[in-house]
Amino acid sequence: MDNFTLKISRSGGKRVSYRVKYRKGMTVLDALTEVREKQDSSLGYRHSCRMGICGSCGMTIEGRPMLACQTQVSSLNKETISIEPLHNMAVIRDLVVDIVPFIDLHRSVRPFLMRNDVNERDHSDREYRVLSEEVEKFLQFDYCIMCGLCYAACPTVALDPFYTGPQAVAQAYRYMADPRDEGWEKRIDILDTSHGVWRCHMAGACSFVCPKDVDPAKALQLARMEVLKRRVLRKRGREGSGLVPPPVSGAAKEGVRPPPFDFGGPEK
Amino acid sequence: MKRDKRFNSGIVSSLNPIGFNLERWSYTVHRITGVILVGYLMAHIFETFQLGAGSTAWTNTMAALHSLGPLELVGLWVVAGSALYHGGNGIRLVLNEAFGWFMGKPILPVYPYSPTSLGKNQKIAVWTITGVVLALWMWAGVYLLAGIGVI
Repeated sequence: MDNFTLKISRSGGKRVSYRVKYRKGMTVLDALTEVREKQDSSLGYRHSCRMGICGSCGMTIEGRPMLACQTQVSSLNKETISIEPLHNMAVIRDLVVDIVPFIDLHRSVRPFLMRNDVNERDHSDREYRVLSEEVEKFLQFDYCIMCGLCYAACPTVALDPFYTGPQAVAQAYRYMADPRDEGWEKRIDILDTSHGVWRCHMAGACSFVCPKDVDPAKALQLARMEVLKRRVLRKRGREGSGLVPPPVSGAAKEGVRPPPFDFGGPEK
Repeated sequence: MKRDKRFNSGIVSSLNPIGFNLERWSYTVHRITGVILVGYLMAHIFETFQLGAGSTAWTNTMAALHSLGPLELVGLWVVAGSALYHGGNGIRLVLNEAFGWFMGKPILPVYPYSPTSLGKNQKIAVWTITGVVLALWMWAGVYLLAGIGVI
């Protein structure tokens, strides 16, 4: 392949074609950058790390949501590559979509550890206990980079804009499976709605497009089972794990505690 | 700043599985067969409702149906296929969603990634259901044709 064409869906419904010279190892993001630098500086797209970590360059490539930085032009094996913005999101300009509603859904499931004893959480000098086999129950879902590909691929999101979505449910389950968390009641209230876990119909497109193997479809079914257990079968949720025991060191034996860790922040 | 509505969202986008996984195709067929079944249910309710309108209305309805000729059989065959697929795939979905069957356990992702929820077990389940449904659907076709003395 010497040259290929990028057919880009731009603002206002226009489809504009750009001819790009191929070079070995070129990604779709490289091609877009070349177009912007050499042919059309008005082309809008979002990117940052260029190595599949930030999740900024999600777009629909050849009909499927992908990260542009991780998609080799050669792997597509096409003379003309079609590029569109991510589906199910409003377009701000060209390939840049409005991710605010998506982030709002993520926030809505309270993606952080919740404890009943807030004072203990905020002022403890020790961490909470978590075993390595317990970590395996949620670590996979912790790798989410919030790129929005699962949200764009989900056929249920396409029909129901109020659906919580695979990413947010996966993150809710990530914390529900964490032994340190005690916020399951609050999260289940969010998930156990007609726009929550019951809306998913297991198309699996979210897991298919996920660039980090977070497997949101699996998390969603596990979250649904949790809701069934606790809401239908009325099983009680577990208590959150306790703090690790104090270290058996000379200082601890003498009752001397190390000073609280300084996280920085504004000086008092 | 003025923002457009959601890009490529709606029924057409929801039902388009091209370029996606097997389960997404299964989702599309499940939805379409569901709509066919709802349509059939409505028509069936209308048909049986004619009984209450007297024997003439019932006879006229039956005559109208029979006047469709082979189309009536094709319609019934499509309904049979829809019921079989929707039911069979529905059982798989219940096993997926309520019991976590074919989903696998949480793992530590290792590149090249392969989500366990769309793994071998899920594929076997989808293809088994598709195979059984196709076999029963063919049998239903033979049964319908035998009913009118074609074979």
